[in-house]
Amino acid sequence: MSKPEVSAGKSEAGKPAAQRIGVYLLQAAESASASLDLRGVAEYAAHLPGVSAVRTLGPADALNPAQLARELRREKLDAVVLASEHPGFYQAAFARALALTGHDGEQVRLASFGERSDGQSTERAKALIAAAVQGIPFTPPPASSPASFSTATLVIGGGVAGIQASLEIAASGNKVYLVERTGTIGGRMAMFDKTFPTLDCAACILTPKMVAAGQNSNIEILALSEVEQVTGSAGAFKVKVLKHASRVDSSACVACGDCARFCPVTVSSEFDMGIATRKGIFIPFPQAVPNTYMINPEHCLWVQSNGKKCGACAKKCTRDAIHLDARDEVVELEVGNIIVATGYDTLDARRIEHYGYGAYPNVLTSLEFERLTNASGPTGGKIVMKTLRQNKKTKADEWVFDPDGPQPKAVAIVHCAGSRDQNYNSYCSRVCCMYSLKFAHLVREKLPEAECFEYYIDMRAFGKGYEEFSERIREEGVSLVRGRPASVTECGSRLNVHGENVATGRLMDQPVDMVILSVGLQPSPGTAELSEILGIPRDADGWFQELDYNSEPNSTGRDGIYIAGVCQGPKDIPDTVAQASAAAAGVLRSIVGRGNR
Amino acid sequence: MAVRANPNLIDDLEHYGARDAAKCYQCGNCSAACKLSGNSKVFPRKSMHYLQLGLEKPLRSTLDPWLCYYCGDCSDQCPRGAEPGETMMGMRRWLTAQYDFTGISRLLYRSWASELAAVLIVALATGAGFLGFGFLFGGGNLSVYDGAGAFLPAHDVHIFDWTMGITLALILSINCFRMWLFTMRGEHAKPVALSLYLRHMLLLPLHFITQKRYRDCEDKRPWVTHLVLMLSYLTLLILIMFFLKDMQSGPQINWYAHTFGYLASIGLVTTTILALRGRLKKDEAYHKYSHESDWIFLLLLLYVAITGILQHVLHRAGLPMAANIAYVVHLMGVVPMLVLEVPFGKWSHMAYRPLAIYLAQLQQAASEESMVLGESAKARTVA
Repeated sequence: MSKPEVSAGKSEAGKPAAQRIGVYLLQAAESASASLDLRGVAEYAAHLPGVSAVRTLGPADALNPAQLARELRREKLDAVVLASEHPGFYQAAFARALALTGHDGEQVRLASFGERSDGQSTERAKALIAAAVQGIPFTPPPASSPASFSTATLVIGGGVAGIQASLEIAASGNKVYLVERTGTIGGRMAMFDKTFPTLDCAACILTPKMVAAGQNSNIEILALSEVEQVTGSAGAFKVKVLKHASRVDSSACVACGDCARFCPVTVSSEFDMGIATRKGIFIPFPQAVPNTYMINPEHCLWVQSNGKKCGACAKKCTRDAIHLDARDEVVELEVGNIIVATGYDTLDARRIEHYGYGAYPNVLTSLEFERLTNASGPTGGKIVMKTLRQNKKTKADEWVFDPDGPQPKAVAIVHCAGSRDQNYNSYCSRVCCMYSLKFAHLVREKLPEAECFEYYIDMRAFGKGYEEFSERIREEGVSLVRGRPASVTECGSRLNVHGENVATGRLMDQPVDMVILSVGLQPSPGTAELSEILGIPRDADGWFQELDYNSEPNSTGRDGIYIAGVCQGPKDIPDTVAQASAAAAGVLRSIVGRGNR
Repeated sequence: MAVRANPNLIDDLEHYGARDAAKCYQCGNCSAACKLSGNSKVFPRKSMHYLQLGLEKPLRSTLDPWLCYYCGDCSDQCPRGAEPGETMMGMRRWLTAQYDFTGISRLLYRSWASELAAVLIVALATGAGFLGFGFLFGGGNLSVYDGAGAFLPAHDVHIFDWTMGITLALILSINCFRMWLFTMRGEHAKPVALSLYLRHMLLLPLHFITQKRYRDCEDKRPWVTHLVLMLSYLTLLILIMFFLKDMQSGPQINWYAHTFGYLASIGLVTTTILALRGRLKKDEAYHKYSHESDWIFLLLLLYVAITGILQHVLHRAGLPMAANIAYVVHLMGVVPMLVLEVPFGKWSHMAYRPLAIYLAQLQQAASEESMVLGESAKARTVA
């Protein structure tokens, strides 16, 4: 694999020769950065190459374009840098003043100090002004000829965010390449049973969108694919995508399933979070898009033995759709914009040793429970405990979900497993409280006799209808216990949850049959590599960094690259969908704007 | 009834080594992680809560900090880094200062400079006092260590020891009485029958000698270290208070007494060095943070042990003058350590801990008796 080339996003051609730049330090009436040494900053700015004048202005003067124009003319300035806590407020006035002097009104650059008072504001201000003077990152994008501008868009990640953004863009008649790492689009949402707080069937909302994406002629889905390299810049990105061979010809396969029936390999299913099995040749789930079988070469006997063994599937396929010797290929794409929607992974519950995940079979993670309670899951949606079975092939005992297995009489749901915890993820994952309440509802609905305990630190029911949902669950007879358990231990054939009930100040030893760990969200594996490939930064927690938290939540530091959904930070489905549409709007703005020029 | 809150309580506790308690978000993980916390006494979260709310009186009347032996499990698991274990440690120092009626404890804990000054002043006074006594009223000859005409006759030192011992015990007793007053006679305290006091009396010597609660912590090594240190110290104290003459006579070795002295000295030096090493390496949660008073305490202990051994060795080596000087130097450590640490400092917990366990047992027994009336307090957990 060649090393990705990251374009600096700035070319010599785009930079006008020898500008006369004026730096304006705008004084607010009440400065939040009290520690800012304004005189020192002014002195520093005056010595920067290209700076012809440095002025300190009060708010009243900075909003008078006529007066500003006189000064610009006197100093023969053709570009200005506005430096303050909120320079955007004055941008329009300066743009107008530049226009009045016959210069380009877009030559107003902002150096925003923000509202941080961390004691380093002076050094920070100097750096920001220097960057703005040099035109980083405010230089206009390099003028590319209309011929090289691509109206196609690359969407990375085929979860609900990627699907939504693709559908929006495709609906405008523009081309979308939807790259998905797994064998099907749908992402995490496809695994869910219900959505909160409406308790809608997740698949009923998502699968029509998946099908729409699969059938839309403007959307080309590249499943089993990964972005390897991105070069060029906004309007003309060149992308190399590694397309892993599915070894099944999608145009010939009718998903009859004969191949899987004869495949001798059985492994645990990724889509079912390991609580069910699949064959070596498989379809992730019945509603998968694209709806074709695929082979994971790691598990295939034929591939692993270099064609010496097995090959049963290819022999049995009546449509000759299986090509075991198919090779991975690299697809080269040209796109004008990129939307990153790579979603999330959940925290590895094994790391929280005192909760016993991995050691006790009936300690589950939230996604495992999601599959268990899902009607398309291994038990048909019946909530049962794991039972010990002998594997016929390996003769080893293993814990499996059997639809006829015993039902739990008590279920504990532990919030904040590895979240809001400096030993794991110190941030709040935002969705866990709500999905935990949803789990409690499902337990009470399906097993009315079962007791259900929710252990929480704070109940974060922050969205529309969420508080009402939380009240509803409380009324459904779920015990909401304020207190974070310290341990889950085995106690005979049951599990003991040990914690303090903070409301009563008493320690609780609650025997239960099943424990669900509400694990938090963290960036998908490969996020760091993708951030290198795309040249977009990540924040301290590893999520992709938005350009501005409040006003540009789906733009990145790089023009033409947008982010949508959980890859920007934990969020629920409605917010993810909204952000995906917003990212699509950003893409369409650039395409439409291009056309109007 | 009005509850008075002291908004500066949490800041005040910082002088005593409590740190980051403000970070606590009351999840209760610490109380559940603690092996010693039980339903009669749930800690440390509750104390953390008192601290955050500034509830000085409830904090003063709680026994919880004394029931903690600081294994550090709570701090290791704390999701907020609020250091509940170290907060409990700080509370113990603060409570020591609260119990102390003289106010000296408060002064020593809040300012390491005054603690250091106090150690030096007492040390110099001791040195001057013993030298003066030796020359004026004692043997007068620095080169006689034992027997008739000894520079510091065992008999006189014995009287001094007992005078000091009784004085210190008296102060500590008053402080213990105040502890009892705060914890058993507070606003919300349940009355405890005298019969209960008598029935559970044996808990005091039991926990004093064995520190068996410490053994319930996950890691057993700190209990061993702590026990060896305490027993060594106690042995030496008994030897000095009751067998000073046998200890000081020589130059022959009095095996019946000295054997104990040797064992205790080895125990004291080893455990003190282990504790110092732990505090320097900071590997365990309970060694991560050290209050200035911890260093002064351990260094004093090591100083006392080493100078004690030195005077003994010099005496046996036939160097009476050097032995006498070493003796005075030794006393210059012993006296400040006892005077400052027993009633006002860290040694006071030898009394407070067993007393707290005893009183906690009484509180529980009393509440169990009153609970016979109704099972209403059963932990029904619908919040």
